[in-house]
Amino acid sequence: MTDIVAGAPTRPRRMGFLFALLAIGAAGCTLPAVVQSPLFLTLMTQAAINAVLATGVGFLVRQNGTVSFGHAAFFGLSAYATALLIKFGLPAEAAIILAVALPTLFALALGVVIVRITGVAFSMLTLAVAQAFHELVLKWRELANGDDGMAIAFPARVFGIDMATFQQPASMFLVCWVALIAVILGLWLLCRSRFGTLTLAIRENEERARYIGYRTVLPRAIIYAVSAAIAALAGLLFALYNGFVSPGTLHWSLSGEALIMAIIGGPRLVWGPALGGVIFFFIKNAAGDFTDHWPAVIGITLILVTVLLPRGVGGVLVWLGARLGGRRPS
Amino acid sequence: MVINILNGLVYGGLLYILAVGLVLIFGLRRVVNFAHGSLFMVGGYVAFTVAAYSSFWVALPVSIVVLALLGVILDRFVFRPLQHEDPISTVLVTFGLLLVLEDVVKTIWGKDFLSLAAPPLLSGTVSIVGETFPVYRLMVIVVAVLVAAGLSLWLRFSRIGLYVRASSVDPVTTGMQGVDTDRVSAAVVAIGAGLAGLSGTIAAPLMALSPSMGSFILIDSFIVVVVGGLGSFSGAFIAALLIGQVHNFGIVYIPWAASLIPFLLMVAVLIWRPTGLAGGRA
Amino acid sequence: MTGSAWAIEGTALTRRFGGFAALDNVSIAVPQGEIRGLIGPNGAGKSTLMDVLSGRAQSWSGQVTMDGRDISALGAVERRRAGLARSFQRTNIFPDLTIDEQIRLAAATAERDNSDEVMAELGLADLAHRRAADVSYGDQRRLDLALALVGRPRVLLLDEPAAGLSMQESMVLARILRDLAGRWGVTVLLVEHDMEVIFSICSRVTVLHLGKILADGTPDEIRRIPEVITAYLGSTVE
Repeated sequence: MTDIVAGAPTRPRRMGFLFALLAIGAAGCTLPAVVQSPLFLTLMTQAAINAVLATGVGFLVRQNGTVSFGHAAFFGLSAYATALLIKFGLPAEAAIILAVALPTLFALALGVVIVRITGVAFSMLTLAVAQAFHELVLKWRELANGDDGMAIAFPARVFGIDMATFQQPASMFLVCWVALIAVILGLWLLCRSRFGTLTLAIRENEERARYIGYRTVLPRAIIYAVSAAIAALAGLLFALYNGFVSPGTLHWSLSGEALIMAIIGGPRLVWGPALGGVIFFFIKNAAGDFTDHWPAVIGITLILVTVLLPRGVGGVLVWLGARLGGRRPS
Repeated sequence: MVINILNGLVYGGLLYILAVGLVLIFGLRRVVNFAHGSLFMVGGYVAFTVAAYSSFWVALPVSIVVLALLGVILDRFVFRPLQHEDPISTVLVTFGLLLVLEDVVKTIWGKDFLSLAAPPLLSGTVSIVGETFPVYRLMVIVVAVLVAAGLSLWLRFSRIGLYVRASSVDPVTTGMQGVDTDRVSAAVVAIGAGLAGLSGTIAAPLMALSPSMGSFILIDSFIVVVVGGLGSFSGAFIAALLIGQVHNFGIVYIPWAASLIPFLLMVAVLIWRPTGLAGGRA
Repeated sequence: MTGSAWAIEGTALTRRFGGFAALDNVSIAVPQGEIRGLIGPNGAGKSTLMDVLSGRAQSWSGQVTMDGRDISALGAVERRRAGLARSFQRTNIFPDLTIDEQIRLAAATAERDNSDEVMAELGLADLAHRRAADVSYGDQRRLDLALALVGRPRVLLLDEPAAGLSMQESMVLARILRDLAGRWGVTVLLVEHDMEVIFSICSRVTVLHLGKILADGTPDEIRRIPEVITAYLGSTVE
């Protein structure tokens, strides 16, 4: 019953979702006041950033039915764009906006070419694209110091906000958390729109979608670009928080992490990957002793989750909820 | 110029040997082994260790056999149990293996670059149109040609080969012909993995061994397979030659952007023919 | 209207697969409002003809016009938007969308949205909020037809809409089709194996054989052609 990609995405309909999301969002905002451990808040900030990335990856699975092994590309390109544009003298505000806009436009252009390829071949291409950029920053040392990475020369204030806001866990957690909730809310609205129905229809039966009069490449490319934009936003948050960027932000183990989070949480749910992101970070914390072997831990987790929990924790929760509510789980 | 073309052929040859393993496994199982680059890397490291105690000529067959055995294990514990699942499950699991294998290699052999010397017999150079060219590199081209010839004979005349070719065109009807699919699959994955071992071993004297050596070649071999048309043997052959040339061109003339050139070529081909050069079966 | 009386016309249509001509210089013209039957044994070229007319076929020669307008160069999407809809031999719907969602989606590309009317006429109104995968096979076939009919296309190409239905269900479907086509003035080209359906609603029938047109006439004329009786109708006409 492995149906990571196949099978129906859970359809967000009820307004109950909206209230639950806003309630969880509000509850999360109180976290820094309740828990004062900087270590915990650091972890939660990273978790929130990665949850944003995972939400982007998961949304592509949900809406296009394709699995990207290369979303680190957009994450890393965004972080590098922030660093490089500031280095080249652009105001930090402009650099920040372009850091999300440029990878998104790139994804749209790339998407028009590669979304026509489906299934496993699509996954291969996404991996190839991300790794090409990884190699590029490694080899082009003059541009970004290769393996050593580069510090980002942020000014003291960005958009009138003290830079420290973005670099201290307590405040940055709030920024990332609000971003995460906003992204999920935005995707939920998108799913309810006609464009959401159309892309789901294309995902289900592309041929028939054309015979009811819809071009199918551009909508799929737009979904790809939306998903990339979310990954780029995560990359920007990462850049703001760390003030540093290295080729690791483009590495396939990051794409792999994002996928694991999406699958743990359940990519058929808009909110599943974010839940997966939080769960994953608790696993990561528990596996602290193995940090030298972190990629292997990711690999093993990915294998276990794929085989044992294809619907994800979110899928199980929805199923349980439906059972308890007396409705027939679909 | 001639030397550049020859160097392109060397890389194209390595890519072909690797990519054709992906095509074989895809033809039979409809899945792509994302750990194929890691098998290439493990092949190189196994050869390095064996050669340290004996010679290159012992290391070569040992590496191929070890990798073929790994292939049998991979088939038994990954491809076969997941054969009725969505292909993406296998892809995710092999991607997980890729991360694990990279870490295992890092742990056993360390992160530093290692080098394996070419065997003395082949360490000389020859003169080609007035320029010198290492004999060893010529050997790599010859091996790639032999693999291509051997495979095409095998696919044409052996029972398993015929089955694999039929299956890569139409897996459904082929599946009904009463052939022991599990045995065929074990053999095919073993051959694919063995070829990755061969490729990794003969590549070892050409490039430094490092835990990331599987990464870039995996990417290029993916590009080869997709550009060739997923599942096509002849497409993979032509695409490997093409990518070998452009890769080498990039290394020589624009080293900082060399990794982007195969990628740009891929985009160009896919705009022109979305199903790849051989088309139709993707 | 540029002077042609034909709602849909294919001229000298040829499609080859290697040396084999699936469609060999076939010309067919259907006047506005007619329900034209298309019969012939498997491999006669019926589905290929549908593919060429609907813009699905990749390489073919000849010309396709709608109301005299040359649409040969248009792809499937543009042809649908120009008012040429089709259905498929196997059920071709969106299993995870609700019936209401997919019919409205299909209607949105047409000039007017007659989703409610189509759902009511095809008996789908009560099922509107069910997932398509959860309704019966007969309902799915009618949904398939609804996806093609919604938005009132001018020309409808139907590839075995009654396949797999019981005789009773087939006749109900045929009656609905005849009523709607008549009321909305839709021109229909209907491929169907069920001769009862063909002879009960088609005003003319074209017989294809090995990629060529073998005969063309009213149902009564077709019924009387000896080769047609022996080769294609067989026992279906007692």
